[in-house]
Amino acid sequence: MPQLLKISKSVDEGTKAFLEFLLKEKKVCGVITLRKIHGDQGIGYSLITRPDDLEEALPLFPLMPANGGKILSRLTLRGSPKEPVAAVMKPCEMRAFIELIKRKQGSLDNFVFISQTCPGVYPIEMSSGGDLETLASRYRENIQLGENIPETRSACRTCLHFTPPNADIIVSLIAEKDLDKSCSLFLNSKKGEALADGMAGERREQTLDSPELRLLHNKKKEERKKLFDEMGTEMRGIEGLIRLFGKCIGCHGCSYVCPLCYCDLCFFDSKPNESRPISYQGDLERKGATRIPSGTIFYHLGRLAHMSVSCIGCGMCTDVCPVDIPVSTIFSRVGESVQKIFDYRPGMDVEEVLPFAVYKEEEFQEIGEQ
Amino acid sequence: MKGSILPFEKDLEKSILAFLKTGLDKECFEAVLIPHKIPSDDNYAYLLIKDKTLLQGASPLPPVIPVQGAKAVSALTRWGPSKKKILAVMHPCEIRATVELSKLRQASLDNLVFLSFDCPGVMPLSGYVKNPGEGDPAYQDARQKWESAKMRPVCQTCSEFGAPASDLHIGLLGAEEGNAFLFPASLEGKRIMDKLGLETSASSDGWEREVEKLKKAREEKRRGAHQSLQTRVEGPDKLLETFSSCINCHNCMRVCPVCYCRQCYFDSDAFKLPPENFLARAQKKGSLRLPADTLLFHLGRMSHMILSCVSCGTCEDACPMGIPVAQVFSLVAENAQRLFNYVPGRSKEEPLPAAVYREEELCEMEKPYLETYARTGERDASASENK
Amino acid sequence: MSRDFTPKIIYFMCGWCGTGGSETASAYHLCYPENVLPFRVNCTGSLSSVHVLRAFIEGADGVIISGCHPGDCHYEDGNFRARRRVATVKSILDSLGLGEERIWFRYIAHGEGKRYVDTAAEFNDYIKKLGPNPLKERNDT
Repeated sequence: MPQLLKISKSVDEGTKAFLEFLLKEKKVCGVITLRKIHGDQGIGYSLITRPDDLEEALPLFPLMPANGGKILSRLTLRGSPKEPVAAVMKPCEMRAFIELIKRKQGSLDNFVFISQTCPGVYPIEMSSGGDLETLASRYRENIQLGENIPETRSACRTCLHFTPPNADIIVSLIAEKDLDKSCSLFLNSKKGEALADGMAGERREQTLDSPELRLLHNKKKEERKKLFDEMGTEMRGIEGLIRLFGKCIGCHGCSYVCPLCYCDLCFFDSKPNESRPISYQGDLERKGATRIPSGTIFYHLGRLAHMSVSCIGCGMCTDVCPVDIPVSTIFSRVGESVQKIFDYRPGMDVEEVLPFAVYKEEEFQEIGEQ
Repeated sequence: MKGSILPFEKDLEKSILAFLKTGLDKECFEAVLIPHKIPSDDNYAYLLIKDKTLLQGASPLPPVIPVQGAKAVSALTRWGPSKKKILAVMHPCEIRATVELSKLRQASLDNLVFLSFDCPGVMPLSGYVKNPGEGDPAYQDARQKWESAKMRPVCQTCSEFGAPASDLHIGLLGAEEGNAFLFPASLEGKRIMDKLGLETSASSDGWEREVEKLKKAREEKRRGAHQSLQTRVEGPDKLLETFSSCINCHNCMRVCPVCYCRQCYFDSDAFKLPPENFLARAQKKGSLRLPADTLLFHLGRMSHMILSCVSCGTCEDACPMGIPVAQVFSLVAENAQRLFNYVPGRSKEEPLPAAVYREEELCEMEKPYLETYARTGERDASASENK
Repeated sequence: MSRDFTPKIIYFMCGWCGTGGSETASAYHLCYPENVLPFRVNCTGSLSSVHVLRAFIEGADGVIISGCHPGDCHYEDGNFRARRRVATVKSILDSLGLGEERIWFRYIAHGEGKRYVDTAAEFNDYIKKLGPNPLKERNDT
């Protein structure tokens, strides 16, 4: 049973105090967390090495300006830090990082993870020109209700993995009633315990699982089923896909912010994917008219084929889309079906091999048979 | 310049489409590249149309620019000129960007004829897509009044709206009610009008007067807009405040017609640095914003494309955080382009400033050497001070 | 401030006349301030604007770019292109108030050792008067 460390500060201040403790005691050489950018103007990730800079940190803020897993992958692509670094990540960001590690796009060495039972995040547009303070207090009020928080990403409201199994420390947020006065940190691993050793606070043994978490899980499951059923109807057939993706402008923002889309040069941006004049000519003769540039839906189908097996449902894609296509709902839904085929759970276990990296001699016999 | 009067009974767009149909009939061109509403009715996409019947739903004057026309032409002709003659109906800024791309060898202008029109601007994309029912009348209003706070901010201060960097131009300003002008702006344009039996006897004086008037008003507005924008971006503090919410999604770069690189330098190996680099920078400054190099991306992108920036505003439309990218880039572009007296896309023959040079130029930039600056004693003293 | 402040200056020089100038200077035993860090590029025309910008953002207080005089470039016109490129970068920095005066562009010939060290010293003094680059302390770039 994991240990629970209770710090008598608000959940935000307590977490910050813990991060400060880690830096000052030199348990880590740096902390990766969300922080204010330029006062209250923006919010973004920062690698903080000076304890004073933690003043501006907002470790548990309900925004995801970039998927943290992608950021960690960038940092560890060419090696691991020589000293421990703490990363404050939401559960889906950790899952994304694990999927990237399986693809040799990063490494876990010398990292400690501080995560949270995650009630979800707001779409990023809610932070521009907005008042971060108001957003935060609205969020805090809603957390205690233990329900899906209104206005959060639909990916979050339908997320079933809001409790991170692999984090070293988990901040308890969901359904906590006293967030203003107490900060509860679950020390989820030996590393986590070692980190917290020396930090002032009450300790006791407590299991992470709770009726509130289970209740919220059921609520999210219901909402997920409803959303996926609706989307299933909407995206049916080529007409459905055209209706949904017709307005796509081909900016490829969705793949760029997607943690799983790590390719330096996406196939769909590369030379081989560009249509030669002869194919445009051919299309023109055949159909009388052809869309320029071509391959709008092909890009999405292709991206599904490439990464849906590892889609961890973070929702960055929908947030960044300039024309508000519900990309994450579509991709999560397709992802779920693909993952079911292989009984694969992306991001849960770094030892679980990618479905396309292995095969059994006897499987899927129905494919390829007359 | 002399042109033709194009009467339209109720619907300007329908008359233009009729003109295009006739052009296809009389084989003045074999296909038309023109925006068309998409099935879900909330956006537009470029269609290359050969079949006249499919022209019916096309929109020569769309209220938005979802894909910058230059990108569409580049997709079509990057690998070689079009074998068929194509008439492209695009906004002036899209045509200018296409000309720039042809200089950058990313598009071919062979067999391509441009039809432009006096542009009232376009609406910011995401607002339009969310509510086309509100967007359409707002656009119609802008077309009537030539002044609308609902258009893209850079459109509101654009003075190149009537510039015919094209072959045929539809003049809307200064035309009588129910009429428009059709001007040939090149030999090819004249040839097409002749083939269609369109007289070019109407004077363009009235149109030119109105264009000049609106141009001056827009230039005035731009001066004011730049003055107030300057206060929001001058100096590291203000500039970083404006870009503080940037999430480094690079949408702006990807939708920009001039940014043609398949793999942007800022996404390449040059920025895949070892962890020691990030940690060292974080240690030096106390903390390091991640993803890293946000400001470098924007300044670097400027250094790469600013001389060809046509101030179309597509970048700002694509920004998920509402950063005034186009306004900032347009401000910087105007100053940089003025250095070389260059207006991107105004002429197909005018070479890119970065591709040419004069032996004697920019002398003011080279710091003059003052032989008397350092007498031996002073110089050695300053050298030893630093020890 | 100018007493305590030792600027970090990067001196981009072309591999032909620029470094030639520095070699001539060393042949005459001429000194220049040691905080001026030489950085050889093959030709000023090959110097990407992004490197100049990166230098600024990551901690340089000033940047000098020196290449062959017009007409002397080993690659014919690299120095002409560089002049235009540097003018563009300076224009960008000027429009945004980021200190275009912290970039100097000066031609140095192979034999102009004195001109080379004088440039380094003059720029060093100039930057000392201007003060540290406000961009380098920022953690939100």
